[in-house]
Amino acid sequence: MAGDAARIRRQNKLGKGLFLLFFIGPALLIYAVYNIYPIFATFYYSLFDWTGIQAEKTFLGLENYANLMKDRVFFRSLGNNVLLVFASVFTQIPLGLALALLLQSKIKGMRFFRTVYFLPFLMSTVAIAILWMFIYNPTFGVLNGLLSDLGLQSLQRSWLGEKSTAMGAVIATICWQFVPFYMILLRAGLTGIPEELLEAARIDGCTPWGTFTRITLPLLMPTIITSATLSTIGSLKYFDLIFVMTEGGPDSATELMATYMYKQAFRFFSMGYASAISSCMFILAFIAAAAILSLDRVRSRGGY
Amino acid sequence: MSAMKKWASILVSVLLICSLAACGGGAANSGSSQHSPSSSDSGSQDVSSGEKKKLTVWYIDTGKRKELIEETIQEFMKAHPDVEVAAEQIANDTYKTKLPVAMGGNNPPDIFHSWGGGWLKEFVDAGQVMDVTGKIDADSYLPAALNLATFDGKLYGAPLAMSLTLFFYNKEIFEQYGLEPPKTYDDLLNIIDTLNANGIAPISMANKTKWPGALWLIYLANRVGGADIFNAAFERRGGTFDDPAFIKAGEMIQELVDRNAFVTGFNGLDYDTGQSRQFLYTGKAAMELQTSGYLTVVRSEMPEFESKMGIFGFPAVEGGLGKATDLVGGVSPVFSISSQTKYPDEAVELLKALTSKELAQRYVDEAGVVVAVKDVQYNDPFAIQMKEFLEQAEFLQPFYDQTLPPEMAELHKDTTQALFGKSITPEEAARQMEEAAQSMLGN
Repeated sequence: MAGDAARIRRQNKLGKGLFLLFFIGPALLIYAVYNIYPIFATFYYSLFDWTGIQAEKTFLGLENYANLMKDRVFFRSLGNNVLLVFASVFTQIPLGLALALLLQSKIKGMRFFRTVYFLPFLMSTVAIAILWMFIYNPTFGVLNGLLSDLGLQSLQRSWLGEKSTAMGAVIATICWQFVPFYMILLRAGLTGIPEELLEAARIDGCTPWGTFTRITLPLLMPTIITSATLSTIGSLKYFDLIFVMTEGGPDSATELMATYMYKQAFRFFSMGYASAISSCMFILAFIAAAAILSLDRVRSRGGY
Repeated sequence: MSAMKKWASILVSVLLICSLAACGGGAANSGSSQHSPSSSDSGSQDVSSGEKKKLTVWYIDTGKRKELIEETIQEFMKAHPDVEVAAEQIANDTYKTKLPVAMGGNNPPDIFHSWGGGWLKEFVDAGQVMDVTGKIDADSYLPAALNLATFDGKLYGAPLAMSLTLFFYNKEIFEQYGLEPPKTYDDLLNIIDTLNANGIAPISMANKTKWPGALWLIYLANRVGGADIFNAAFERRGGTFDDPAFIKAGEMIQELVDRNAFVTGFNGLDYDTGQSRQFLYTGKAAMELQTSGYLTVVRSEMPEFESKMGIFGFPAVEGGLGKATDLVGGVSPVFSISSQTKYPDEAVELLKALTSKELAQRYVDEAGVVVAVKDVQYNDPFAIQMKEFLEQAEFLQPFYDQTLPPEMAELHKDTTQALFGKSITPEEAARQMEEAAQSMLGN
C-alpha cells in the first residue's frame, strides 16, 4: 500500500514536470535560441581571427584575449564603464528612492507629478539622446542659455565637445533616463511595507528619520539590492544613448566596452576580437551580479 | 476532471506554439513583399511567379534619389519580365552594420551599395564581390570615380553619383562686410578675422562624427604637400604619414582653432540633426566646408536659404605644392554585384541600368548632383558650377576614410578630431598614423 502511494506520487510528479515543460517550453526554446546559444557562440568566435564577412576563420586560441589585455582603448572604455556603474548605483537609486518617498507623501497634485516623473522612462533612448544633444548645444542650447541668464557665463562649456565634460554630461542624461524606473520599482517596494509597522513606530514616538532608517530602509533592502544589480549590469553593457550622443568621442572620452565592441565588429571587421570584448563584458557582468547577490546573502544571514 | 483540463491546456499550448511559428512565417512573408516593388501589380506576377528570377538590391540614397532608383527598377522589370527585383532602401548607418552581417551570414543582396575604396576592398578581399571587368563599359564613367572601384587592375562595381567638397557660404553676409570668396589661404584668414570682429562665427562645423573635420585635414595636406602626398604614403612608395606636410596641416588646423575660426563646441555638434547648418540658416555663421550633398539637404530643409547661398573652392596655400583646383571628393553610390548571385547575367544588366546615362541625367536634373557618368547635360545652376569645379580639377583626392583600411580610417578621423580639440599635437597625430600604416600597409 505504502509503495503504491509512493508510485502514484512519483507518477504525479512526473506528470506535473511534463505539464510544466509544455508551458515553459516555447519561452525556453526562444530563450535558448536567442540568448543561450549566442553566449556560447560568442565564446567560440572569440577564439578565431575572423572578419565576420567571409566563411574562413583562423584558429588563434586565446590570442584575442592576450591582445585585449594590451589594448589601451579597451581599458579606457572599461574605466568609463566602471565610472558609469558607480554613478548609476549611487545617483539613480538614491534619487529614485527620494522620488518614491515623495510620491508616498500626501501632497496635493501628487498624481500629476507621478506621471511627470515617470515620463523620461517612457521616451525612446534615441529621442532622449537627441533631446539632450540640443539641451547641451553650446550656442543654441538651453543649458548654456540658462547659465548666461544667471550671469554664470564662466561656467558655460561645449558640454559634449570637450573631453573633460563629455562623460559627465552623458552620465547625467543616463541618470535622468533611469531614475523614474527605480522610482517605480522602489515605490512598489514601499507599498509592500505593512502600515501597522509604521503606525506602531509612530505610536512609540519614533521620529520620521528613525522610522525611515530603522523600518523603511531595512524592509526595502531586497528591492534596493535588485535595483543595484539591474543598474550595475545595465551600466556594464550600456550602449545606445552614448552611441547616439557622442559615438564614444571626443577622442575616446566616452568610449564604453559596448561601443568599442561595435566598432571592432562592424567598422574594423574584427568579429573575433569583438567577440572577445563581448565575452569579457559577459564575464564582468556575471562576476558583478554574483558579487552583489552574495553580499546580499551575507547581509540577510547577518539579519541586518 | 483534472486530466481533461490538463490535456486541454496541452492542446492550447501546442496551438499557441503553432500560431507563434505561423506568426514568424507571416512576418517574414509580409516583410519581403513589402520591399518588393512588384507586389503592386500582383496580377501579372502570379502567372509566372514560379519561374521568375529574383534579384535583391540594397541602396541608401534618400529623397528624390530614392524615387529615381525605384523608377529605374520598375522600368527594368518591365523590360525584363522574367526578373523580379526586390529593392530595399536602408539608412546609412544601419547599412554599414547590415551588409557585413548579411555577407557573414552568407545571405547577401545581389546588388549592393558602397562608396568604393577601403570599405569595398574588405568585401573584395573576402571573396564576396563579383569581378565585372569587361562586363560593363568602363569608358562611360569618369576615371577618377572608377578608380575607387578598381583593385589590382580589376573592376568591382560601377559608380553613379559623386560628391565634391566645397565651401558653402552666405552671400549676403559676405556682401555686407565687403568680402570676396578667397583666392588664397591668407584671404581666408582675413575673412575669418573680419567676421570675428563683427560678431559672426566665420565657419560652422559639426564634428561629432569626425568626418567633417577630416575634410579640412585632407584639403590642407593637399594644398601644402601636393596631389601625391596621400597616395605616396598610402601606397608606401616613398611617402609617409608623418611627412612634414601632414604635420603642417595639423598645425594649420590648430591655428584656425586658436583664431576662433569655428563655431563654439564644434566637436560635440551633430551634423545629421542639422546642428551646423542651423548656424548658417540663422545667419550666425558665414560658411561651412561640406560635401555637395549639402545642396540636397538645404533644398529639403531650408529652401529659403538657397538664394542666399554661394559656393567656392578651397583656396591655395602660398608656397604649397597643391593646386587651388584640386578637389577632395568621393563616389556614392558605387553599385557592386555579390559573387554569390544566382543570376550573374541579369545582375550585370541591372547594374548597367542603375548606373546608366539616363538615370545619371535624371540625377543631375532632378536631384541637382554631379554624376560619375560621362556625357550628361547639366542645367541646374549649382550642378553646373560643381561640374565646372570637377572639369577644372586635375586631381581628385578621395576621402581618406573611404580609401584607407577601416581601422586606419578610424584612427585618421580620431586623431583629426583630437587635433581640432587640441588634445594631441600635430607631430603625435602624424606619428600614430605612420605607426598604424607601417603595421597595416607595410613599410
